[in-house]
Amino acid sequence: MHRKMRSWLTVLSILIGVMAIYAIVSFGLGIQSYMDTIAEEAGTDKIYIQPRGTGAPGTDENFFISEDEANFVSKIKGIDKTLAWYLKAGLIKYKDQQKYYFLAGIDPETDQEFLDQVFTVTVDKGRHLKKGELDKVVLGYNYQVDDRVFEKGVQLGDKVEINDVKFTVVGFYEEIGNPSDDGNIYLTFDAFEMLYPETEGKYGALIMSTLPGENPSDIADKVEDKLRKYKGEDEGKETFFVQTFEDALETFGNVINVLNGILVLIALISLVVASVNIMNTMYTAVLERTKEIGVMKAIGAKNGDILFIFIFESGFLGAVGGAIGVLFGYLIASSGGKAAAAAGYSSLYPIFPWQLTAACIAFAFFVGAIAGVLPAMQAAKQKPVDALRYE
Amino acid sequence: MKRATIIKLKNVWKIYQMGDVEVKALRGLDLEVKDGEFVSVMGPSGSGKSTAVNMIGCLDIPTKGAIYLDGKNIAHLEESELAQIRGRRIGFIFQQFNLIPTLSAVENVTLPMMFQNKSTAEERRQRAEKLLTMVGLGDRLYHKPTELSGGQQQRVAIARSIANDPEVILADEPTGNLDSVTGKVVMDFLAELNEKEDKTIIMVTHDRYVAEHADRIEYLKDGVIVESKEKRKRMKRRFLNGRNHNLEVRKN
Repeated sequence: MHRKMRSWLTVLSILIGVMAIYAIVSFGLGIQSYMDTIAEEAGTDKIYIQPRGTGAPGTDENFFISEDEANFVSKIKGIDKTLAWYLKAGLIKYKDQQKYYFLAGIDPETDQEFLDQVFTVTVDKGRHLKKGELDKVVLGYNYQVDDRVFEKGVQLGDKVEINDVKFTVVGFYEEIGNPSDDGNIYLTFDAFEMLYPETEGKYGALIMSTLPGENPSDIADKVEDKLRKYKGEDEGKETFFVQTFEDALETFGNVINVLNGILVLIALISLVVASVNIMNTMYTAVLERTKEIGVMKAIGAKNGDILFIFIFESGFLGAVGGAIGVLFGYLIASSGGKAAAAAGYSSLYPIFPWQLTAACIAFAFFVGAIAGVLPAMQAAKQKPVDALRYE
Repeated sequence: MKRATIIKLKNVWKIYQMGDVEVKALRGLDLEVKDGEFVSVMGPSGSGKSTAVNMIGCLDIPTKGAIYLDGKNIAHLEESELAQIRGRRIGFIFQQFNLIPTLSAVENVTLPMMFQNKSTAEERRQRAEKLLTMVGLGDRLYHKPTELSGGQQQRVAIARSIANDPEVILADEPTGNLDSVTGKVVMDFLAELNEKEDKTIIMVTHDRYVAEHADRIEYLKDGVIVESKEKRKRMKRRFLNGRNHNLEVRKN
């Protein structure tokens, strides 16, 4: 009974580490696949120019891209389309509730396909804004859901107040998958300039597509160089930064990978602890089964056979822990993914390729087997006559 | 019929160091066993009889002297070679049965064959079932040792000892943990192996009646043989209820 109990405790210790690794990596892979989807939808030919500010975009008055600069940049060779947009935090009111969210001013005359690519989503309920509309608004996905932005979801045709001005809701965007983007409020240039007259011609960001056949990062370098000269700024002290969409994703991906790496490292440390636990269990098992070892040697087991038996047993303990760990990791990750989606982070989802399962179990077996090497060596080198006599 | 010598111990010494004390378990033991012979080894505790059997069984090596198995000196072989000899040429039967508690009867009998690595799993299973049926455990094939009586466990051990069809069976107090009735059953099986299968059997025992099953009784005292009693005629043994055991179990 003690033996069984000890085995299960050992399995538990390795289970925890594998569970954590499985859950973390499944989310990491999910984020990777999400980014791949985004990259596919947005296309990798996009370049961003953002003012370099101290605050978040839209909250810092001193940093913007001017209309002149936007015009200048859009004429650089290799640039295809240019989208300038306003960005500012604003107050939105609906049925006595009010919240601060980002207002995005967009030019409805921009090529719709280009716009959809940039946002990676399109309006799937109602319609897009039309040029010159001063009292119409399109809202992000979350507004129509109860208890996301407002207690009660907003309906098409409802009136909302933005900075105390009434607007009619004419459309909703698809879900992007994070509460910040899905809380965006989309206005026409004209409406935005009406709300914020002082920001006229001071854009929050520029997004450009490059002509086919051009290398986006070469164009980005050229844009950075030319805009710096245009603004008369020193290298390294620019008030803006240029980034290709690919770079942006990569930067984001790197951050995620580092974070993931740290978490996996912590889980690995727990596996090291678990392996010490396995080693301890196996040493005890070797001691308890000394007589059994003697018997096996008497009936012809070679040292290598004994070594193999104990290493395999140790690895098996690890693999059992690994398999149960994968199961629990799966349950945790999938319910975590559901919880994230319910909270508006639908972009945060785990994926479970079979390779991950196989790798986790194999790794757990490997950890167990390695931990069993020393105890197994002790078992193998027992003298048969002494082992047989052991009580 | 003249028989060849299968085991020969020549001037075998075993000296243990127990703390500061030197224990001389064997002091120049000489012993010869012929092929197909059934030899009992008797003697008071501490006389060195178990030590002697361990030497013959390659479980231990002598401090001095030579042990010949089929003319080959095995006194100073490497552990891997000794393991080879133990597995293939010698079958062990212990006082405490020494079955692996987590394995079924069939698996216990299969184990020695697995260590030899010469047969398929299916062949091993078939042979194990055949051997167990032979010792009267055909209806207990997949029971764990804890689900078997002492006599049944010892019969599993007998089946295990002949799994690899060895020439020599070493039995160390095989009836020591059994009552006289089950002890007799076990002895009958051993005698049968000796007579019909021509196995050489060397058995350590305290029990005078049990020792009588042998062709020869060697008495040990203080690590040397002090008396040897050869029996003129083999006792005729009848098997329980005239059961007709099929002992044709040699591999090929």
